[in-house]
Amino acid sequence: MNILESRGLYHDFKGLEVLFDVNLQVEEGERHAVIGPNGAGKTTLFNVITGTYHPSRGQVFFKGKEVTGSKPYQMARLGMGRSFQITSTFNRLTAFQNIRLAVLSKKGVRFQLFRKVDKMEDITKETDEILKRINLDRERDMPAGMLSYGKHRSLEISMALGTDPDLVMLDEPTAGMSRDETHYAVELIRRLTEGKTAVIIEHDMDVVFSLADRITVLHYGQILATGPPAEIRQNQAVKDAYLGELEA
Amino acid sequence: MMKKKLRWILWVGLIVILALYPRVFGIYYTNFFVTFAVFAVYSVSFNLLLGYTALFSFGHAMFFGVGGYGTALALKHIQGFPLLPAILIGAGSAVVLALILCPIVVRVTGSAFSMLHLAFGQLMYVLALKLRNITGGEDGIGGFPIPPFSIPGIVSIDMKAPENFYYFAVVVLGVSLWIMWFFTKTPFGQIQVGVRDNAMRVDYLGFKVPQTKAVVYVVAGAFAGVAGSIFALFQNLIAADSGFGILVSFGAVINTLVGGLGSFFGPIWGTAIMQILEEVTTRYTDRVELVAGLILILVIMFAPMGFVGGVRILKQKWLAHSAPKVKLEKVS
Repeated sequence: MNILESRGLYHDFKGLEVLFDVNLQVEEGERHAVIGPNGAGKTTLFNVITGTYHPSRGQVFFKGKEVTGSKPYQMARLGMGRSFQITSTFNRLTAFQNIRLAVLSKKGVRFQLFRKVDKMEDITKETDEILKRINLDRERDMPAGMLSYGKHRSLEISMALGTDPDLVMLDEPTAGMSRDETHYAVELIRRLTEGKTAVIIEHDMDVVFSLADRITVLHYGQILATGPPAEIRQNQAVKDAYLGELEA
Repeated sequence: MMKKKLRWILWVGLIVILALYPRVFGIYYTNFFVTFAVFAVYSVSFNLLLGYTALFSFGHAMFFGVGGYGTALALKHIQGFPLLPAILIGAGSAVVLALILCPIVVRVTGSAFSMLHLAFGQLMYVLALKLRNITGGEDGIGGFPIPPFSIPGIVSIDMKAPENFYYFAVVVLGVSLWIMWFFTKTPFGQIQVGVRDNAMRVDYLGFKVPQTKAVVYVVAGAFAGVAGSIFALFQNLIAADSGFGILVSFGAVINTLVGGLGSFFGPIWGTAIMQILEEVTTRYTDRVELVAGLILILVIMFAPMGFVGGVRILKQKWLAHSAPKVKLEKVS
């Protein structure tokens, strides 16, 4: 079953077509990578799906329901998590408080004005467990803005997963990371998305071919091909448009 | 355990000091303290917007003024209107004003928010001047009856005695402070600072950003209204300048910046510092604003996190200085 599906999705910025008849299909339980050269419309596709923009035309279906043009908070409540290419955390809050906000959202604690958040044991416990799992327990009380780049990225990714979404959209999770950090991040993503559905935008081909179950190649706003890694590697159109220029 | 005991001792000590204060310092400094408490609550309510939600209002006085006028009008026009409901009417008027404005103001940020509040604040000021029949124009509303604090059949305390009013004001304002403090400690308070740091991410985590801001806005307005209401009762007068004046709006800004916007108690320190400075300055010159302005410039240049931030840095330096020295080995 497709957990996420877009049908005939178009998006333009004041006449500049960025997405052109995109039919993306993400199956439940798979890791789906979206690749393509710079400016192919990958992040725009994410923005249209997660609610940053309203698509110009076309429909988005999530868990079988039409969600075209829903707001980000609505998508989050339906069970879609998202991380950002440019690290977007709460920089003056501690790592713990960052994750705790995700946990509060997951538990549906929103307009709670009559209890102290520090006294909510279950929330604290769950947050600490997540910090431990992502190896940030030693930086628990450090402001997010002061974390090292790699750790900061881990926090970014885990916040998207902290709400325990059914589908997580990771926008270039390894952007700007060193080789070691990338390696670590890939293992982290592998571990955290176990049994979940994930859509990942990625530039690093090693990462893509080692993580993804299926790959969609986006080129000038259009889907060039979709399929398992081995098939994509052999695809002539993809080679011409994208992979070829990497190998050359 | 020790910490808890120490905290209890501090609380009891604070209450004893507050209880004995009027007897020790006399009537002049008792009234001085009430003024301080009023503006401390008002500045803390302002800081809920600025320090906790990154909403910089140049018109916070409108809630203060509406609170004052609400209470004054109720007492002037309704015979035998009791004290606590009069304060509730003041706070309620501020809440109504906040509810009217919030659909607009929660959708803007940054300088648009500031300028919008400058405009609305000045609009309220002009309305207070022009609607003479209701507001009394420049003279404001004064001489309205101050009802006693009474629980029917149990007690009735005369509020015209300054000492009694002091105790009443300290309790009401103390409770207001505590409620606002608790507010920042709730899960909602966490979402609030999340909006301050990164509103977009809050949205993507599944919280409604405009609604969150609206709740903060209404709470901040309500407590500014309480402060204004107590102020009107205390002075037995509320006028356009003391209620809606631009200097009242800027007062909150200055108190908060001087005290430190990064902490809950910062604005309280700021209010104390500025009021003591004003007290000392007036003995030598009438140009109080000049001194206040100079202080603000110095604070922004040399202690951008205000008094509380400065103390924090000094404390860290002291801790670093007194920490056991670690010998660094030369790495070759």
